[in-house]
Amino acid sequence: MLRLSSVSKVYHVRPFSVLSSLKASTAPKGGNSHKGNGSHHVEVKCENMDEAQRAYLDRVIRVDQAGELGANYIYAGQIFILSEKHPNLKPILNHMWEQEIHHHNTFNTLQLKHRVRPSLITPFWKAGAFIMGSGTAFISPEAAMACTEAVETVIGGHYNEQLRCLNNQYDLKRTDGSEGQSDEVKSLMSVIKQFRDDELEHLDTAIAHDSRKAVPYILLTEGIKAVCRTAIWTAERY
Amino acid sequence: MLKNFVPKRTAFGLTRFYHPNPKEYVPQLTLPPLLYGKDSKQYKILSHSLDVSVPEFGFNERAIVNSINLLGYPSSILSVIGSSNTPSFLHSSTALMELLKFNLVAKRYQLSEDIPLDTPVEELPSLEDLLIKRLKMDVPIGPHLSQLIAQLSIPGPFLTDTSLPELHRLADDMIYFSSEKDHPDFAWYAKRMGVSTAYMSSKLFMAQDRSPGYVDTFEFAKDKLKRIMKLGDYYNNAEEYAWYVLMNSINMAKSKAARG
Repeated sequence: MLRLSSVSKVYHVRPFSVLSSLKASTAPKGGNSHKGNGSHHVEVKCENMDEAQRAYLDRVIRVDQAGELGANYIYAGQIFILSEKHPNLKPILNHMWEQEIHHHNTFNTLQLKHRVRPSLITPFWKAGAFIMGSGTAFISPEAAMACTEAVETVIGGHYNEQLRCLNNQYDLKRTDGSEGQSDEVKSLMSVIKQFRDDELEHLDTAIAHDSRKAVPYILLTEGIKAVCRTAIWTAERY
Repeated sequence: MLKNFVPKRTAFGLTRFYHPNPKEYVPQLTLPPLLYGKDSKQYKILSHSLDVSVPEFGFNERAIVNSINLLGYPSSILSVIGSSNTPSFLHSSTALMELLKFNLVAKRYQLSEDIPLDTPVEELPSLEDLLIKRLKMDVPIGPHLSQLIAQLSIPGPFLTDTSLPELHRLADDMIYFSSEKDHPDFAWYAKRMGVSTAYMSSKLFMAQDRSPGYVDTFEFAKDKLKRIMKLGDYYNNAEEYAWYVLMNSINMAKSKAARG
């Protein structure tokens, strides 16, 4: 186990191991020049993520950004059709839309900060999502809610899969000898957890507003779920 | 489980990796995609080649051998330098391929090494500054630029695995480390494509430029970049106007329908 007391001793050895860079960075910069100062403040750092871990995070941010963009445009399409015909639904739809805009903005920020490329077919996601939202709203308000139910079911499951993977596969060694996720992975997990809960709240709202009375319910929900799964597969890669 | 996510090929530079926050992790020992860091013998020999030997001999194996001799290393180190490249019929030596790659990668890192990551946006250099800075790095090897461009653009694996991805990474770095606005949608690709085009056309201009101190090249690069940015403005204005017309038409149709 790597202990701080042993760090300065091993610093000059530079063994050929994954942790050699960990040891190098924890050695106090001034060596023994800080006399009389018994405690050096040493910042705890993590070992570097490997290519697979970085490639997966790249996919996570790209697909989540594209998904939230889709959700944002689906609600925009629903509001566009339903706001005048069924004004009673407007506050509910607006509340969900505002949350989706917040989710979308959060992933936009993460995408730019971590230099992830956005999905190549972003214009297609915008048009497709708007058509899906307005098309189902055009059939009936219940069909629009069935669309929300199908989309949020798939997104909720997808977020859970990502959380499982981030929880299992990102244990990194730290310079203080401990192991665990880095702060940025933890923060990404808490963002995804929060957003998953929001999406599941939207799912409950859709069911409470008669999504299951939509005709044809099975065809609509299963069709939209298949579209969402295909979109997730595509946005992860392109 | 995660190993399935590692891309097998770099696919024209489209495959990218998440960039972690460097403050949370120990510094990397290498300069990816190079397999060695600044303390390595390979780095010393290749940077010496670029500074001293290439201006004299051009981009060929003699430049590397000359640096190896001047630095006092055994000549067998030539095979170590080229070991990360697959031999190719289209290139004379793997060590030379490494020198070409090193020229692109090391200069890309130099471009941003004096810009701390937490620099406020208003203190960041402009995109034009970074473009000119990168072009100025090639002034010492100016007479050999056409040779360099010719070797980098030979159709084959080196072009798709090294030259093009490096060009895309350079354009990405220029936008990320400058005060230029970045975008979360398709404009992300359009802007990078525009910057890559401006850089490559300036480089081609530079290869034939005979003006003192390459002043014409720098003027050309500034003009080219301005024109590309203007093109982006034209597109944005056209899109905004189309959206305005669409919304207007919808509202007109709605009001007509309400009146009956």
